[in-house]
Amino acid sequence: MKSKSNIITFIFIITALFLALISHLAFRNNLKNNVENFNSYHFLVDAFLIIGTGILIRFVIARNDKRNIGILKQLQTINTEIKDSNERYDIVAKATSDTIWDWKIQTDEFVWNKGIQGVFGYKNEDVGNSSNWWFDRIHPEDSLKMSVKLYSFLEQKTERWQDEYRFKCADGSYKYVFDRGFLLKDIDGKAIRMIGAIQDVTKQKEEEQRLKLLETVITQTKDAVVITNTDISENPIPNIIFVNQAFAKMTGYKPKEVIGKSPIMFAGVKSDSNELKKLTESIKNYQECFIETVSYKKNGDEYWVNFSMIPVTNKEGEHSHWISIQRDVTKEKNQEREREQLIQELTRNNKDLKQFSYITSHNFRAPLSNLTGLLNLIDDLPIENEELQEILNGFKRSTHLLNETIDDLVKVVIIKDNPSIQKEIVSIKEIFENVFFQLNNQINLYKPIINIDIEDNLSTTINRAYLESIVLNLMSNALKYRSLTKTPKISIIAVEKENSVNLIIKDNGIGIDLGKNSDKIFGLYQRFHNYPDSKGLGLYLVKSQIEAMGGSIEVESQVNKGTQFSLTFKKV
Amino acid sequence: MLKSILCVDDDPITLMLCKKVIVKAEFSEEIIFANNGQEAYDLYQSFVVKKDRDAIFQFPQLIFLDLNMPVMNGWEFLDLFKDNLLNEFSQTKVIILSSTIDPSDYQKAKQYQMVSHFLSKPITVEMLQNLKPLYS
Repeated sequence: MKSKSNIITFIFIITALFLALISHLAFRNNLKNNVENFNSYHFLVDAFLIIGTGILIRFVIARNDKRNIGILKQLQTINTEIKDSNERYDIVAKATSDTIWDWKIQTDEFVWNKGIQGVFGYKNEDVGNSSNWWFDRIHPEDSLKMSVKLYSFLEQKTERWQDEYRFKCADGSYKYVFDRGFLLKDIDGKAIRMIGAIQDVTKQKEEEQRLKLLETVITQTKDAVVITNTDISENPIPNIIFVNQAFAKMTGYKPKEVIGKSPIMFAGVKSDSNELKKLTESIKNYQECFIETVSYKKNGDEYWVNFSMIPVTNKEGEHSHWISIQRDVTKEKNQEREREQLIQELTRNNKDLKQFSYITSHNFRAPLSNLTGLLNLIDDLPIENEELQEILNGFKRSTHLLNETIDDLVKVVIIKDNPSIQKEIVSIKEIFENVFFQLNNQINLYKPIINIDIEDNLSTTINRAYLESIVLNLMSNALKYRSLTKTPKISIIAVEKENSVNLIIKDNGIGIDLGKNSDKIFGLYQRFHNYPDSKGLGLYLVKSQIEAMGGSIEVESQVNKGTQFSLTFKKV
Repeated sequence: MLKSILCVDDDPITLMLCKKVIVKAEFSEEIIFANNGQEAYDLYQSFVVKKDRDAIFQFPQLIFLDLNMPVMNGWEFLDLFKDNLLNEFSQTKVIILSSTIDPSDYQKAKQYQMVSHFLSKPITVEMLQNLKPLYS
């Protein structure tokens, strides 16, 4: 402006001098040598000069006015625009969830919008006004990387600046933010101001991490995962769009070799056509399906695959994909087959052994029955030779013992072969009556005191022959292993307990040292006393019979004090 | 007392025992022996002829039958008897006398109508005394 007023003054002086010179030259010749004319001459020159400069001034003023009006209008427009823009900024700042910052770089003035309070929870008075406050709140793990990028931008080595980092909230927690900024430069291109917008992307980041974690399930799992589309126009099993690493490992195919192809390509000669049919039917009906079949690897090796196909729907509930989870079960299949073979073999062996035991028993029993039969006949024959009588008695006792042993063994064999036995309702009292009848001779001989506490109508559903055999065994044991110094005493108690019957047979006999023999007492061929006619079979048989009927037996015993057997049977 | 019975067993001692016990129990007037199923079947075929010729011929009313025998066992004999002789000898009853312990034998015996008893060896006088009222 100063130079402009100098120019105007300069032009005015030149113009005035020029006009003065023109008028002087114009009027000099006409009015020469005349005093009157001299006065008129000066007047005319002045008048010309005044009029000339007046016109010039008017022109200059008019031009200036015009220009000033233009500038004023421009200023007014700019003013309106600024106002609008400010309003817009305020609205945008309110509308956006972004936190906006404004950094005057030279003076390090840093201004935040209200987002710093709303999003990060800082109080107005806590918010700092320098860039340090900003830097201090960036997660230590992110700050180095972030500042490298930022300074590179400030030095204008990079075009754009945007970054993700963790920003500390007022409560000390961190939020993932996405920050974008741009630079304002002066005429010389120097960065003077930077404005940025921080977006809170914690939710997105967390979702991203969750998805990544979920993805690791597919990528890291040992099960092969295959995803297909739903198009079955070409193939009955739709085409693959994804396979995981485990699939590649299992089949030997690289992902690119199978993507776009139907899993039907893994089937072959030995594949189970029924299973494949089941699969294609399920696919047609959008139903999940589980099959097991032989499948083929890239190198042609066969393997057993456990194959599932599960339909997946999108947000709209439309069927969008199939997920197939596959597992190589060759090992299990082979084991299963081996197991089956083993079971078959064992079953056959078992059957053979059973048959063998039947034949052996038969072959023992046949001649033994002859012996018994013949000895029965001797009873009625008079024998005069005493020695012969003695021999025959020994012969008879041995035969009798052999017969008992074989009978017991036969019982064991039959119990072990018949898991399902016939049961009937049996009166406990009746069983004891039968047993006492059979033991009549011994009872008369040893005269034990027998206390019986059995309810008259106490009954249980059980196998009669087994129960009789059990009671007979235990009662004859009580008599056989009686005390030689005390009067034998046997207590029998039978009570009903909820759904079971509890039977106790207790004696005051010589007992068994359970400390030494607790695990052997019900074993086969276990004998605890040196009695010539004990075979080591009785208690084994008792336990076998009780267990065959789903019952249990327990024993308590003390040497020279007595033995107590406690039996429990289910009532039904 | 029965008129006639047939004992089928491959063991001569068993047959001897049978004879002695039957005599002692006064169970039957006549005792016929066969060593296996085949012999017993052959006997019966000859009975068919005799029966037609001789009206008063006493064929066995009861058979004591062993199961485990060479040449032809008890079951095979029962099958042949059932298929070919049952019409001619519909009144004949069979008592199986065996040392078997195989439960399936007991089950199997129930399928033959002519089998009236399944007894365990040895044959005894008491056994026959109990049977007597049923067969006289």
